[in-house]
Amino acid sequence: MINQQLAELSNLAIVVTIVLYVLALIGFGADLSSSSQRRSDARLAAQERKEAQEREMSPASVGASGAEAEGATAVGGTAVAARPGAASAGSAGSGAGGSDSLAPGTAGTRTAGEAPAASGGMSAQRFAFLLASAATVLHLIGVITRALATQRVPWANMYEFATTSTAIVMVAFLAFSVRRTELRALGTFVVGPVLLVLLLAQTFWIVPAAELTPSLQNSHWIYIHIGVAVVATALSILGAVVASMQLFQAKHERVLAERAATEDFPEHWGRFGHVLDRLPSSSSLEALSFRIHSVAFVCWTFTLIFGAIWAREAWGRFWGWDPKEVWTFIIWVIYAAYLHARATGGFRGSRAAGLALAGFVAVVFNYTIVNTVINGLHSYSGLG
Amino acid sequence: MSEKNPRPDHGVRTDDAERPGTGPDEASGSGTGPSESGSWSSKPEVDGKRAAVPSLGLRGTLLFLWRQLTSMQTALVLLMLLAVAAIPGSLYPQRSVNPALTEQFLEENGRWGEVLDALGFFEVFSSPWFSAIYLLLFISLIGCIVPRVGVHLRQLRAKPPRTPSRLTRFTGYTRLELPGAQADSLIETAHRSLRRSRYRAEVREEKAGRSVSAERGLLRETGNLLFHIALVGVLVCNAGGTLTSYRGQVTVVEGGGFANSLTQYDSFESGAWFDENDMPDFRFTLEDFRATYVQPGEAGRVGEPRSFEADVQVTTPGQEQESRTLQVNKPLHVPGASMYLLGNGYAPEITVTDPEGTVVAEGPLITVPMGDINYTSQVVLKAPDAQPEQTAVVGFFLPTGTIDEQGPRSLYPDALDPQLALTVYQGDLGLDSGVPQNAYEVDLTTLTQVPGEDGDPVLIRLYPGQEYSLADGTTVSFDGLKRFAAFDIVHNPFERWILISALVAVGGLILSLFVPRRRLWVRVREQGGTTVLEVAGLARSDDPALADDVKALASRLSEVHDGQRLPDAAPSGHPEADASGGPREGSAQ
Ligand code: HEM
Repeated sequence: MINQQLAELSNLAIVVTIVLYVLALIGFGADLSSSSQRRSDARLAAQERKEAQEREMSPASVGASGAEAEGATAVGGTAVAARPGAASAGSAGSGAGGSDSLAPGTAGTRTAGEAPAASGGMSAQRFAFLLASAATVLHLIGVITRALATQRVPWANMYEFATTSTAIVMVAFLAFSVRRTELRALGTFVVGPVLLVLLLAQTFWIVPAAELTPSLQNSHWIYIHIGVAVVATALSILGAVVASMQLFQAKHERVLAERAATEDFPEHWGRFGHVLDRLPSSSSLEALSFRIHSVAFVCWTFTLIFGAIWAREAWGRFWGWDPKEVWTFIIWVIYAAYLHARATGGFRGSRAAGLALAGFVAVVFNYTIVNTVINGLHSYSGLG
Repeated sequence: MSEKNPRPDHGVRTDDAERPGTGPDEASGSGTGPSESGSWSSKPEVDGKRAAVPSLGLRGTLLFLWRQLTSMQTALVLLMLLAVAAIPGSLYPQRSVNPALTEQFLEENGRWGEVLDALGFFEVFSSPWFSAIYLLLFISLIGCIVPRVGVHLRQLRAKPPRTPSRLTRFTGYTRLELPGAQADSLIETAHRSLRRSRYRAEVREEKAGRSVSAERGLLRETGNLLFHIALVGVLVCNAGGTLTSYRGQVTVVEGGGFANSLTQYDSFESGAWFDENDMPDFRFTLEDFRATYVQPGEAGRVGEPRSFEADVQVTTPGQEQESRTLQVNKPLHVPGASMYLLGNGYAPEITVTDPEGTVVAEGPLITVPMGDINYTSQVVLKAPDAQPEQTAVVGFFLPTGTIDEQGPRSLYPDALDPQLALTVYQGDLGLDSGVPQNAYEVDLTTLTQVPGEDGDPVLIRLYPGQEYSLADGTTVSFDGLKRFAAFDIVHNPFERWILISALVAVGGLILSLFVPRRRLWVRVREQGGTTVLEVAGLARSDDPALADDVKALASRLSEVHDGQRLPDAAPSGHPEADASGGPREGSAQ
């Protein structure tokens, strides 16, 4: 039996969630644009310090390996941002790498980096982050009440699949960026797509809470197969966000490096460039993207295998090239190609990221077009 | 990360720190250099020399082609091709999935459809081009893993490679001067601590001191090889399944039965190696079929199905008769076959008598649902024995019927107001022409419609229990209603092996993605009156924790062996040094 009150509560929660995400998005956006100003200030200061330093001494470092130098920068950046209230100081973090060697072991840079945020009260980013967290909690409540209202898993049609997988995207994003505060700058690019999917779900895919069709009943594979698919989809979304940031960042870094030869304060892509300046380097984004995609790939593999087992129980064959099966196969093969590309000379880096994005396009196609336009056995979208 | 450890494509995969002379650092000239390099023995090098001969010749050309095929770039291109080639398989109706849709497409698209058909776009997954891609891919895969298996087996037995002579350029390089430390005990502790962290560690004597060379994560490559081999397993078992499996469809009306033999199937397909004698001897009767649908006022779309249940009495040899209920996700498994409930419909009981008064058709007639949610079903009844002319009755069965401007149609899937809307034809049914006929189709063009008693063309509308007489004396009656269920009976002896291969593949995949593979070196030298400790590592995979682990090891070792405090404490062992001092397991977080 469907509990209509709970179902309405769930709908309401999702609508309010959407509103909160809009606000969070505005917050993240405001943070991005305000970062422009701070960034130029910080850059200027860092530049001056650096010049002073170069006059004084040549850089000394403990380890000679390039890896170490890079590691030190990354660690430094995290340390700066991890201080409470210092989230907005991320921009100073990139400058801090230079000044660290100036005054090794002192906290001087850190305090300096913190100052603007502390004086400005709650920063836009922190505000947006808290809003996004609150929205995510409400989002989860919406998903859970839907499950309670229908007394089953909340992923039996497109609407439910969309609300649940976006909730997981948000939870994963929050989990990633609770510690690594520099990732919070990605907020716009995560909340944006999540909001888009939720709006689509709310306008085009929404169906009333209802019981299951026979093909989804009596099977524990609905928990396993679709559950894993929800996670796989969520990871693909996150992975695509990181991979596209990696691509932009790589391009940005290249241009900046070229211009650095001739200009003192190289600029590229204006405001967006300033956002990129605050994000981790393209190589650490690439590492993050790889980690997300490798988990995603394992999840897709399980989705495929569990789907096949279920297909055998439900339809009497484990594989029949139904459109949904074809596209899951395509997704799997593209992501496999991505993993191979990373290990292949000449394809590493940006080209591999391109493959990851191609995989994501396949994920989107599989979810939208295959569910609604192409007819197959998997027509459980719940849309007429 | 990968920039720091560029891994060459595996066609020419080199093992930098392992093979003297190719590492990032020239290893000291002594030791097992040549033999190790020989033991690597991989075909890339051997082939490389041959292929380098200016004129390749046939053999050279073949080797060259083989090397191209088994290179990573080729695998990459083939993978992408495979993905692209699969796309039309989802856009065009596939014969193997839904032949009726394919025919419809062909009719609607004329010449264009024929071209696509000739190119195999309606059988993408068995088309020559699709098969070529995946066969090449798998040949490439095999060509790639066979040599890697050999190398890996040797590596598993080999000792960790020698410590490079200069460690400075490796990850996390740390150099500490420990004036009071004892070189030997330092090495001992390092060795023990690394072993305890599950490194394969080896103490090496060197000219100016000693070093520990350690390695872990060979499981990564093991997993990777397992993964690829298991993929071949999936393909091979799949082929085996195609050759030996069978699948048949049966339609059974309530009260009717089925015994598993070829003649009883409506349709049947099997692989080339299928042996009819392997079909298990089982039989069943369909006792009852029930369906429920969303009723007006309930949540969901009215008429959408909510449950299908088929009660069957099954008899298998050597077992008692058994009552079972099949549902959509609850198939019946008997040894050697599985039976799935995949379809259902209505079977109205219709009696037809010809003008001479002979009963020419009687009993439940399977009708074909036309695909709408409300089970508007097609009726085709052929009475070839009717006199003076053969007779066909065609029309519709409507579980909850209406006839309006749109024609006869059903408003709800359940049999709330069952009725038949029929027309009777007479003429030559063409059954003797020798051309096989579909029982559910009849060609009306050669037949003439039988008028009603008033001489006008008539659409007979019948409710259960009613009878209708036509002008010539033919009568049609609707005596009752039953339901039928459609079952697929299938068996694929390789299914289990495909599943096992697939699970082994994921297992290998997980190992190959998440086990970090790395080397660690600790070197201790007496230099200018003090003891110098050097520690460094080399990541052979994404391994963000390596630098930290190297440093942690170095600082642990220096703490334990700080000459000032504990000149000779090492041999007795320091548990805390191992507990926290060994490099962490460094999983890629
Ligand atoms: C059926 C097609 C194939 C699939 C689905 C597939 C899938 C995968 C996956 C998922 C990985 C793990 C990613 C990684 O460790 O980097 C992998 C790794 C690898 N594959 Fe394949 N593979 C296929 C064909 C091939 C072929 C044809 C070759 C040889 C030419 C090959 C060589 C490798 C190698 C060397 C690695 C390890 C890469 C490394 O980490 O160094 N694979 N493969």
